[in-house]
Amino acid sequence: MQRTIPLMIVLIIGIAMLVQFFIPHKISKDIYMNFLDWLGIIAAFALVLGLGSLINHHIDKIQRKRENWPYSWVTLIAIVITAIIGLFGGMEGKGPLPVQPQIMLGDKIIQIKYSIQVIYDNIMTPLGATMFALLAFFMASAAYRAFRARTFEATLLLVSAFIVMVGVVPIGYYISPKLPHLAQWIMDVPNTASKRGILFGVGLGIAATSLKIMLGIERNWLGGGK
Amino acid sequence: MKFWESLLKIDRRIVFLIVGLSVLIPLIFPFSIKTNVMPPTQKLFDAIEEINPEEKGILISADYDPQTSPELHPMFIALLRHSFARRIPVLVMSSYIQGLGLAKQGLDQVTQEFNHKAMSNQDSIIYGRNYVFLGYPPLWLAAVLRMGSDISQAFPADYYKNRTGALEMMKKIKNYNDIGIIVSIAGSGYPQSWVVYANTRFGVKVGSGATAVMAPDFYPFLQTGQMTGMIAGLKGASEYEYLVNTKYNLTGPIPATRGMSSQSIAHLAILLLVVIGNIGYFATRKRK
Repeated sequence: MQRTIPLMIVLIIGIAMLVQFFIPHKISKDIYMNFLDWLGIIAAFALVLGLGSLINHHIDKIQRKRENWPYSWVTLIAIVITAIIGLFGGMEGKGPLPVQPQIMLGDKIIQIKYSIQVIYDNIMTPLGATMFALLAFFMASAAYRAFRARTFEATLLLVSAFIVMVGVVPIGYYISPKLPHLAQWIMDVPNTASKRGILFGVGLGIAATSLKIMLGIERNWLGGGK
Repeated sequence: MKFWESLLKIDRRIVFLIVGLSVLIPLIFPFSIKTNVMPPTQKLFDAIEEINPEEKGILISADYDPQTSPELHPMFIALLRHSFARRIPVLVMSSYIQGLGLAKQGLDQVTQEFNHKAMSNQDSIIYGRNYVFLGYPPLWLAAVLRMGSDISQAFPADYYKNRTGALEMMKKIKNYNDIGIIVSIAGSGYPQSWVVYANTRFGVKVGSGATAVMAPDFYPFLQTGQMTGMIAGLKGASEYEYLVNTKYNLTGPIPATRGMSSQSIAHLAILLLVVIGNIGYFATRKRK
C-alpha cells in the first residue's frame, strides 16, 4: 500500500498532464493551473525537508567527527546568521527590526548595518568572483600539461581550440580578418552538429526515464527500504 | 635534452604568474582594439531594435550569480541601456535567488545614468512606468508557465512588495503576447529552459546572454531559430556595448570593452604555453 498509492498517483497524474498538453480547452487549462499551484505548495515542503536534512547531516558529521567536520560548523553558523539577518533585517533592510542598530563601546558609537543585501555585496559577491577567477589559473595550467598532439583526434581538437581561442578575441582579427569567421564556422557547424546529437540523446533519455517512472519500472525515487 | 625536458616541466607557479600578469598588465595599461560584431550578437540587437515600444516590452531575466558576473553583468547593463534608450518597457526578474542583488545593482546604475541626463519627467526612467523589477519566483517552472497567461498572477507582488497588477506599465503588459523578446542571461542552462517552456509553448522570442563556456550549448537553438540571438562571453558583451553606444551615443562604463585587451593577451599567453608544452613533447619523444 505504501508503494502502490504513490505509484498510482504518478501514473494517473503523469498521463493526465501528458494528455492535457494537447487539449486547449478551458477546463483542461484550469486543471493545469491548479496543478501549478500544487507544485508551489509541494516545493515549499521540499524546501523545509531539504533544510532539515542539511542541518541533520552536518550535526551528525560533527557528532561523529567525520572527515572535515569543522567545516560543518561553518555551514551551520552561516545558516543561522543568514536566517536571523534575513528574518529581522530583510532583503534591503526593510525587516521588522532596525537595520542600523547603534552599539556604545566606551565613548564610541558603532553603527551596525545588516540586511541580506549587505551580506550579498560584502561576502557572496567577492567570494563567488574569487572562486570563479581561480578557474582561469587552473585551466591554463591544465591546458599546458594535458593539451598534447598525441593522436590525430587530439591534434584536431588542438587546432580547433587554437582557432576558436584566437578567433573569439578581438586580437584574432588583427592576426587574420578571416580568423573570427573561421571560429564562428566551427561553432556554427561542427559544434552545432555534435551538440544536437547530445541533445537528441538527452531528450530521448528523459522521455524514456519519465515513461519508466510513470509505469513504475523505475522506482528509485520511492526511496530505499522495504 | 635538459632544455627540451624543462619545457615540459614549467613550474605551476610560473604558469599562474604568466596568466596573472597577462590579465593584470593589460587591465592597468589597456590598448584599444577594433570590435568585430559577430552574427549572434547582431541578431539579438536587431530583434530588440524591431520591438515597437508602444506595443511590446522586453523581459530580461538575470539568471546569473556573482561567480559569473564579471562576464555576464556587462551584458545585463548593455541590454538595459539599449531598452531604456528605445524606451521599451522593461521587466526584470531573476531565476536565481543570487541574481537578485546583481539585477538590482544593474537597474540602479542604469536608471541613474539616464536620469542624470534627463531634462524632464518625460525623459526620466521611472519605476512602474518604464520598468518593473519582478524579483525571484520561488518556483521557476510554475512562474514561467503562468506568465504565459498572466504575469501579475505569476508575480502577485514585485521585488519592492508593490502589487504588480496595480503598476502603470503592467496595465499594458499582461502576458507573453505583450513581450517582444525574453533575454535570459545565464552561466547555466536557463536559456535552454526558456526556449523549451516560453518559446515552444507560447511562441515568444527568446534570446540569451551566455558565458563563453556555455555558449556552444545554445548554437543548435540559434540555428533552428528557437533562439533569436545570443551574446556569447565577454567578447559578445563588448560587441553589444559597441552596438548600443555607437547607435545611441551613450556614455557610461564599458567593462566588457575594457576587458578585451586583457582577455586577448590572456588567450595568447595560454596558447603560447600549450605550444611550448607541445614543442617539448615532440622534441623529447624524437630523442627517446
